[in-house]
Amino acid sequence: MLSTLIWFPFLGAIAIALLPPRPLKLVALAISGFVLLWNVWIVTQFDSTTPLLQLQEYLPWLETLGLNYQLGVDGLSLPLLLLNSLLTWIAIYSSQEQTERPRLFYSLILLVSGAVAGALLAQNLLLFFLFYEVELVPFYLLISIWGGEKCNYAAMKFLLYTALSGALILLAFLGLVWLQGAGSFAYEAAMGDTLPLWIQLVLLGLVLVGFGIKIPLVPLHTWLPDTYVAASAPVAILLGGVLAKLGAYGIFRFGLGLFPMAWANLAPVLATWATVSVLYGATVAIAQKDIKRMVAYSSIGHMGYILLGGSALTALSLVGAIAQMVAHGLILAILFHLVGVIETKVGTRELDVLNGLMNPIRGLPLVSALLILGGMASAGIPGLVGFVSEFLVFQGSYAVFPLQTLLCVVGTGLTAVYFVILLNRTCFGKLDNAIAYFPKVEWRERVPALILAIIIFFLGIQPAWLVRWSESTSTLMVAAATPSLTQPALAQAAQIAKVQK
Amino acid sequence: MTTTTLPPITLPPSTHEFADVVHRLEAGGSMLPDTPENLMQIIGIYKAYAVPMDFYWRDLLYIAERVFLNPLPAFKYFLPQEYLDLPNHYAGEHADLRIWRGEATAHPELLEFMKTGEMKQKLPRLFHHLWHDRINMEFAEACMRAMFWHRGMGGQFDPYLDSAEYKANADRAIRAYFQGNPVMLGLYQLFPEMFLEQVRQLSYYANLGLFWEVMAPVFFEMSDLYDEGKITTVPEAMNFLVNGIFAIAGRPIYHHVYIRGECYEIIPKSKGFMWLYEAALPYVEAVFYRTSPFRGTKSYNAQAKQVPDNQADFHYGILYADVFPVGSAGIPPTLLMQDMLHFLPPYLVDYYKQHCRGEDDMLIQLGISFQRSMYNVTSAVIQALRTALLYPLDDPNPRHLMANRQFFEGQLDRFKRPEARLRDIQRQNYR
Repeated sequence: MLSTLIWFPFLGAIAIALLPPRPLKLVALAISGFVLLWNVWIVTQFDSTTPLLQLQEYLPWLETLGLNYQLGVDGLSLPLLLLNSLLTWIAIYSSQEQTERPRLFYSLILLVSGAVAGALLAQNLLLFFLFYEVELVPFYLLISIWGGEKCNYAAMKFLLYTALSGALILLAFLGLVWLQGAGSFAYEAAMGDTLPLWIQLVLLGLVLVGFGIKIPLVPLHTWLPDTYVAASAPVAILLGGVLAKLGAYGIFRFGLGLFPMAWANLAPVLATWATVSVLYGATVAIAQKDIKRMVAYSSIGHMGYILLGGSALTALSLVGAIAQMVAHGLILAILFHLVGVIETKVGTRELDVLNGLMNPIRGLPLVSALLILGGMASAGIPGLVGFVSEFLVFQGSYAVFPLQTLLCVVGTGLTAVYFVILLNRTCFGKLDNAIAYFPKVEWRERVPALILAIIIFFLGIQPAWLVRWSESTSTLMVAAATPSLTQPALAQAAQIAKVQK
Repeated sequence: MTTTTLPPITLPPSTHEFADVVHRLEAGGSMLPDTPENLMQIIGIYKAYAVPMDFYWRDLLYIAERVFLNPLPAFKYFLPQEYLDLPNHYAGEHADLRIWRGEATAHPELLEFMKTGEMKQKLPRLFHHLWHDRINMEFAEACMRAMFWHRGMGGQFDPYLDSAEYKANADRAIRAYFQGNPVMLGLYQLFPEMFLEQVRQLSYYANLGLFWEVMAPVFFEMSDLYDEGKITTVPEAMNFLVNGIFAIAGRPIYHHVYIRGECYEIIPKSKGFMWLYEAALPYVEAVFYRTSPFRGTKSYNAQAKQVPDNQADFHYGILYADVFPVGSAGIPPTLLMQDMLHFLPPYLVDYYKQHCRGEDDMLIQLGISFQRSMYNVTSAVIQALRTALLYPLDDPNPRHLMANRQFFEGQLDRFKRPEARLRDIQRQNYR
């Protein structure tokens, strides 16, 4: 059942490579749409009350190496699987009708989708690593072939950084298994809590830096602005919405999951690191003149909330962190899509040139309205999904790291600052009729943003649909690191509130 | 873009910023380049403008003559049949001077629109009114207010509004109108200036109504001549306007009020106020050039010095307007565009469909065509003034020609301002 999420896109990628060019986008949409529906069906089969792995699949492969085909899904991976399949469909839908070399383009996107799904489902360290590395080359090609200005430079930078990330992660995995003397790379066999604490800390450090590059966290982030800006809008959606989340997933799955005691020891450092990321991302975003670069830097800031939630080690904050992964994926996807539409229509991303796009007749009014919605969601305005996740993170983290949490709340305020700058200059003001001869935005260009906007709004007013899948799993993960806290997240919230009183 | 042939004279080329336009004016042309596309746009827009204008002038006169000082004029836009049938003095068989060969009563397209509106469904008139599915008289009133607010733009009409004779005439009309209404008469005793000011405004209603009564048949006739192939260039269109201006120049401007069947002459015809000097020129100055800062398509910030201290220095009219609406409330040019949209000739609709966003931004495209057409009207006024006050274009005396040039250059100086659209209309792709 779970294998379908991996192999159907892979087989689809091969099939697309053989098809005539005409209906390629349609076929890619059908394949990714099927995967999305399959994912929805898996959600219906998922029991959210149990924290354990579900729908497991096992096939012996290279047992002497300890590498087996082991899949499973839990509350940490399920929301990300759904996000991956949704954003893949959105990315394909939002691609241009006249994409150059469409066979390769859609094949690579489907490869990325299958590889990310594989990484999220893998229950074996080597299997994870294989899938983790498989998405590297497709992304490199997607950036370098279909990217914009300086795309080759950005793609190469991305490749080098993420190759380093992979090397560090592999080193951590091998170190863990060899030092433990485990006979398998299966997750349950590779728990690192029997190792001396200092070794755990070293290995955790490798994991943190490895996945920290992928997220990315400051100061490992320098590939991100160049790559996000150079990538075309569909690829940027996948980079920000999916790939960065894979980094966050890796930190939680392998950092917190395999080294819970070391994680608990390192938590204050992680919280501080998260705060630095949040404030750095937000302040640098304020200084940007390119709206895509601004959104890219906002991503750095928002990924910091995820690390804060994880480092606080309360079930509530961890639920909030997982929710933030989904929320940020959705918000970043809508923002990148809309920025892509603006760039296509207006021909620039420069804040100093853009103006008055809200103009009802000659501007891009619906695009502007949705951009405002995306900005509001990113700034954590109540009623939208960003508020839910950020509130859960702050609520869950404050009792543990009050100073860092408060500084992150300031970061939310700074988010509002740069989005007000962006929206004020881009959407409002007077449209200059010397330049305002933009092509009309077609409905097909609006659909992805409308779908994302509906989900952002729906999850904002019905947050239970966002958090209920991961509550049991996060409680279990926190319990492993802090044995005294074993209650469900909502009970923890009540306890925290009691302590605060 | 056209190339204009310089007149066979010895004047050196103009060094003015708009030298091309100066040379074109000296050659008897318009500020608008002479291209078939420009001609089609301006003639089509004249026709689309004339139909609502046929409503505007009738309703302006109705308000000035019949609604008068009604303190609750809720139905002032509900034009009675009597005024729809009111014969235009410049159309129809019995015209004083037949400019348009059509009928003197309201235009058939106007009557058709008034029946079913944009919805193409006959509903009670109040529904059409409240749904704004009607002719937007608010635009006409905004033009009138611009004239009344600026005042003092030459002529004898405006000073007359402050004369004792005018006040006496107005007093008689006010007392007659409120006869048997002690409340209003009492208020009049307490605040006579307020009532007088209201009557002055109503005199401007009459002024503008009488002005547009002439312009509507002029535009209709131009449209018909274009359809018949008798107007083929922009200068021909401009010259038709110039000739029209001189033919009508002496038309009296007056203000009569009808109260219980009796006519009160607040401004009698015998005062000799003439259409050209008391209506046309103040109208062009107030509406084409000045208007007011909150009337256009953006809000101006007085604290940021976006509004000049001197009211006479206002330049917010259609010759300067940015016709992009931004969705703020109460924008008369937008209302006019909406009115014109209902009466566009088919060739103009087809033309707009081919450019920019087609039907989606037709309002803006026709707004810019309107701007071009008003530059042509302004050119006609400039040429008319030159004819009246200066010398013929083919005058053999170089000093006279230099005087003409100085006049043209002086007029064009007003378009040196950055927001003026004269530069834009020289480009065909300004849409």
